[in-house]
Parts: sequence; C-alpha cells; structure tokens
Amino acid sequence: MSNLEHHVRVLVVEDDTQIRKLLKVTLQAHKYNVYEASTGEEGLEKVSLASPDLVILDLGLPDLSGLDVLRSIRERSNLPVIVLTAIDREADKIFALDHGADDYVTKPFGMGELVARIRVALRHSARAQEEPVLHHGELMINVAQRSVELKGEPIKLSPTEFDLLKILAFNAGRVITKSQLLKQVWNEYDDSNRHYLRIYIGHLRKKLEDNPAEPKYIVTEPGVGYRFLAAE
Amino acid sequence: MTNSRSTFRWHPYAITALLIAGMTILLKPFGLAFETANIALIFLLPVLLNAAVWGLRPAFFAAFLGVLSFDFFFIPPVLSFTVADLRYLISFAVYLVVAVLTASLAARLKQQVLYSKQKEKQTATLYALSKQISSAVDMPSLLDRFSRQLSEILKMDVTIYLAENNKNLTLARRSSPFSHHVQEQAELALAKRVYKQGKSLEKRISHTGGLIGHFIPLQIEEHRFGVMVLISKHERGETLPEQALLFEAIGGLAASAVARVKFEEEAKLAHLTAESERLRIAILNSVSHELRTPLAAIIGSATGLIDGEKLFTAEERMELLVTIRDGALRMNRLVLNLLGMARLEGGMLTLRKDECELEEIIGSTCMQLKGYQEHRTIRLDLTAEIPIILGDEALLEQMLINVISNAIKYSPNYSEIILSVKAGSEFIQLSVADEGVGLKENELERIFEKFYRSEQTGHLTGTGLGLAISKGIAELHGGTISAKPNVPKGTIITISLPLVQDN
Repeated sequence: MSNLEHHVRVLVVEDDTQIRKLLKVTLQAHKYNVYEASTGEEGLEKVSLASPDLVILDLGLPDLSGLDVLRSIRERSNLPVIVLTAIDREADKIFALDHGADDYVTKPFGMGELVARIRVALRHSARAQEEPVLHHGELMINVAQRSVELKGEPIKLSPTEFDLLKILAFNAGRVITKSQLLKQVWNEYDDSNRHYLRIYIGHLRKKLEDNPAEPKYIVTEPGVGYRFLAAE
Repeated sequence: MTNSRSTFRWHPYAITALLIAGMTILLKPFGLAFETANIALIFLLPVLLNAAVWGLRPAFFAAFLGVLSFDFFFIPPVLSFTVADLRYLISFAVYLVVAVLTASLAARLKQQVLYSKQKEKQTATLYALSKQISSAVDMPSLLDRFSRQLSEILKMDVTIYLAENNKNLTLARRSSPFSHHVQEQAELALAKRVYKQGKSLEKRISHTGGLIGHFIPLQIEEHRFGVMVLISKHERGETLPEQALLFEAIGGLAASAVARVKFEEEAKLAHLTAESERLRIAILNSVSHELRTPLAAIIGSATGLIDGEKLFTAEERMELLVTIRDGALRMNRLVLNLLGMARLEGGMLTLRKDECELEEIIGSTCMQLKGYQEHRTIRLDLTAEIPIILGDEALLEQMLINVISNAIKYSPNYSEIILSVKAGSEFIQLSVADEGVGLKENELERIFEKFYRSEQTGHLTGTGLGLAISKGIAELHGGTISAKPNVPKGTIITISLPLVQDN
C-alpha cells in the first residue's frame, strides 16, 4: 500500500494556518507530497500547476466559496476531492457530495479518519469502474451474472436491491448520498422515493448482515447517505 | 328604580308664591282701575319667568296660583272665588292655555340651550381627553393621564381594570385613593361581570351614602381590554341619557387608546425579541466558530501524534505539539475574553493596584503572540525610561494581547507592527500601529463597542469582543483607548494610562 502512495501529491486548500500546518506535517509523515493553498483562487491555480492526485478542500474559504472551487475543479477533471466541513454545515456537505466531492470529513476530525478517507478515494480513482466480480470479506458480488454469495451461500436479491448493493460496493469506503442513490437506481430524482430507499436498505441489511441493527457492510451516515464499508 | 332624581325642590314654589303675593299686593290699589285683561297679562309674567328659570312644573304652579289670585282679588265679587260674570271663566281658560303654552315653549327652549351647552361641554371634554392621551407612549402614563384628566373633568373617581391575556381582570389604575365607602371586592366582581357581558352597568356600590358606579366595558369590535368604573363623588340623581352617552363615548376613547398602546407595546416587544435573537445567534455562531477552529487543530494534531507515533520525525512531532499549544493558547485568549466580558458586564471586575513594569508586560505579550504573528515583525519603540504604573498586570496584559493580536489578524503577512511607548508627566501612551486593512472614519469609535465588527474584516472571523474588553480595562485603570488611521494605511490604536493614580 505504501508503495502505491509514494509520491502521491495532495493539495490542501484551507485558510486556517494551524490546520494547514497540521495537515502538512501529518500527511508528509504519511509520505504524501503536500502542496498548500490558503484561498480558493490559489487552490485552483495550484490544481493546474501542481497537478495533484487528490485535493483536500475546506468549504469555508475566505474568497470563493469552497463549493465554487469544487465546481471549477469538476469542470476540468475527475480528481478526487475530500471536503472539510464544520459540524453545523450539513447542507453544504450534502451539496458538495452531490456535486462531485468524493467524501467529507467533519471538523474537528481525527487524523486517522482523514488518512483512511484519502486512501479510499485514491484507491477508487486508481481502479477501473467495471470489475466483473467484487469480493468484500465473506461477500462476493458477481456483477456480470447479477448474483450474490454470502459465506459461499447464494443470496436472492430483487433487481432494485442488487442495483443498490452494486453501487454501494463499487464505491466501497465512500459515502453515497441519498440523492445519488436515487438517481442511479431509479434513474431520476424524485423526493417521494426517499422512503423506498430506506426500506430497500433495510431489506438488504436483513439479507446480508448478521445483526441488521449493527450493520457490518452498509452503514448509515446520518443526514447524508450510506457507506459500504470496505474490507481491508 | 331610584327616585332620588325627583327629589322635591321646594324653593322655586315658595319664591313663586311670594312673587305672586307681592304682585297681588302691588297691583291691588290699581286693580280696579285697570282692565282685568291687563292684570291677567301681568300674571303671565311669573309663568314665563319660572319656565325659563326652573322649568315646567314651577311654571304650571305659577299659572295655577296666578289664576287663583286673579280670581280671588280682582274678579268681582272681590275676596271670593265666586265668579259673577260667567264670561270670566272663558278668560280663565284662555289665561291658562296661554300660560301653559308659553311655559312649555320657554321650558323647551331652556332645555335646548342646556342640551347644546352640555353637548358642547361633552365635545370639549372628549377633545381634551383624546388630546391628553394621544401623546402617551406607554400604558402607565396613558392610564395615569387618562384617569387624572377624566376625574378632573367629570368630578368623579375613575378606576380602570385591565385584562391580562384576555382574562384575569386586575386593577390597573385608580384616580384617587379608594374611599372606604366603596367595597373593593364588590366593585371588582361587578367589573368582572361587565367585562364578561360587554355591556355597561350602573349600580350603587356603597352601603352608606349614595355612591353610584358606572361600569363601562373598554372594547373595540371583538377586542375587549378591560372595564372603566366611574364613581360619582356626590350623591346625584339618575344618569341622564346624554350622560350615559358621554360615558360610552369616553369608554370608546379609552378603549382605542389602550388598544393603540397595547399593540404598540406588543410590536416593540416583538421587534426587540427578534433583534436580540438575531444578535444571540450571531454571537453564538462567531464564538462557536472561534472555539472550533483551534479545537480542530488541537484534535487533529493530537490524533495524528497518537495514530502515527512512529511515522513522525522528532522535528515533525515538535511541529504538531506547537500546533496544539498555539491552538490551546488561542482558545485560552477567547475564553479569557468571554470571562472578562462577563465580569465587566456584571461589574465584578475589581482592580488590583500593583506596581506594574510595562516593559515586562510588553515582553510577555510579545512572547505569547510569537506563534501567531507568522512573518509579521513587531518592532518595539520604547523611550529610555518607562515609569512604573499602578494596575492589574493580568488585565493590562490581556488588553495588550487583544490590541496586538488584532493588529496581527488584520494586517498582511510580512508587514510591520510598531509598538511605541511615550511617557508624559501625567499619562503614559502606548501606540500599536499596523499596516492592515484600516478602518472607515465612522468606525473609529464603533470598533470599541461590544460585538461590533468592522466592515473591513471581510472573511476574517471574530467575536467583536477583544477591543471592547480592552476599552473596559483601560477605563478601569482611569485611562482611555482610541483609534486613528495610520499613514499610508492601517490603524493606530492608542492607549493612554494615568501615571499617578489617586488613592
């Protein structure tokens, strides 16, 4: 793993000096090459100049809003973006995820959490989107045949349940917002389908989890969406 | 119901009787020389007079007495009620008819004059009242003016009951101390009934003496605000219809005034609540942001150190530790300021008067801000001799930290901040000059207001407390703090502290 991350370039766009310094020191210790920007303008400039492999973007920037920076990045590239948000800016967080952010970390955050998110985002961008068979612990998902096995036993899933599981598992480790799931599974965004989503997730958990109340595979990100936990 | 109105007043009748007797005596000697018709005409005079002065009944009495006297003394046979010539009976009848007609005409005329006079008085009363109460801005002053004015005009005790939250009628105002004749409980009970029914009521409210209470509901359309009670100070007759009308009109006037003041007060309160709510949210937001940012740095650094213990070089470890320290210091500054504000507000800040060496305080302040200033240089410009001042070292340091950290915060990296101290004979002056964003002319005073943040601060977050506390501390030491623009840009904050403090 550390070989893969060697010389990975991470751009930190954050206005607070102390947090920027903390990110720089810690990420360098994890063998990332860290570039810094304190404003959105500077951040966009460095995206072009330093061509980073990943961007950590604070949503509360002084000049441009972090969301504007995210949009500008998305206009030109697919590079993974992790947003930093304050605990009380739920709406910004969901908006950022729906507009192309790969993941989010809420301030104050533990460094372990942030490094884990960075790894997932990098691995995801390195991997080809379509893999015929996904393995996650005791769970095997055969995308081509649309079949699922748990501990070697076949599991019967409805087409919708399978689509949900497929999207979550493809994005293992990343948060997927409710509206992203609705868009991808039902092909259109309709708020009235929101409660179906909860029901289908409930069905999936019943079929996959040993204890649906303490899910091992599909965990809820309160107020945001769901995250499929990647087996390391 | 009550017959006190028709109390018999006997003096008009006595005077009439005397008048007619006098006229008879006066006319008697000429009596037989005059035509009797002329004498009859003269006897009409008291009738007219009575009608104009006392009204109908005394006039009729005068007519009756006139006929008797005329018959007895002037119609032959004299000194007898017998009438020899029956034609005189027709004369009597004509006399009586004329008397009654003139009397009633005169009486009506008199009443009309009286009525229009009363009308005029009522209008004037209402006008004076409405003028008095229209300028009242709050409920107590309104009720005070209203009841005082009204009791003066009507010569009555005025009591006003107001309903709280549309129930619980309570005494709001009494124009004069409650006379012991009236039973307070009884009055309140009656007022409650009137409030409930919304109809005026007139009732005797004392055991002894004839005190009459007029209960008038204060209402506008479906809104009912309370009850007004008017108590006649003196025994009086039944309420005249026009008086009842006046009371109703006054009630309407009072109700509209009460409604106006009440709605105004409610609107003011709502506005005030919204304003303070807005301020509270703004303060909460800025304080929580100011606390959270250093907290994020501390937590991030600490977890980084814990998780990746072996990853870090000694140098990196030190950098993370410094980040933790700086974050904690930043939080400490904020907490100190919040506490200071609370103590200043509560008046709990008592000043210690120790001998303080300003140079030491400046040195320690600069040490504390070392991590914060980054690449800004702080140049000290101190005169050779800095005298010792009396004060609270911790507070003075807090003041200086606030002023200098402000200068750092709002000025660009690689700029210079000059701290200069000049000692005069009575005052010592500290100036902090930065090359930062600067202030607008009209903000130079306002920045020392609590929670005020300059428009120039832009994206930089803060609580708006630092300079307000600095001002509080400077003033506590008997000094002043002021701001002026620096040249070519930036701001100079000048603190002036007295050298000799009175004991």
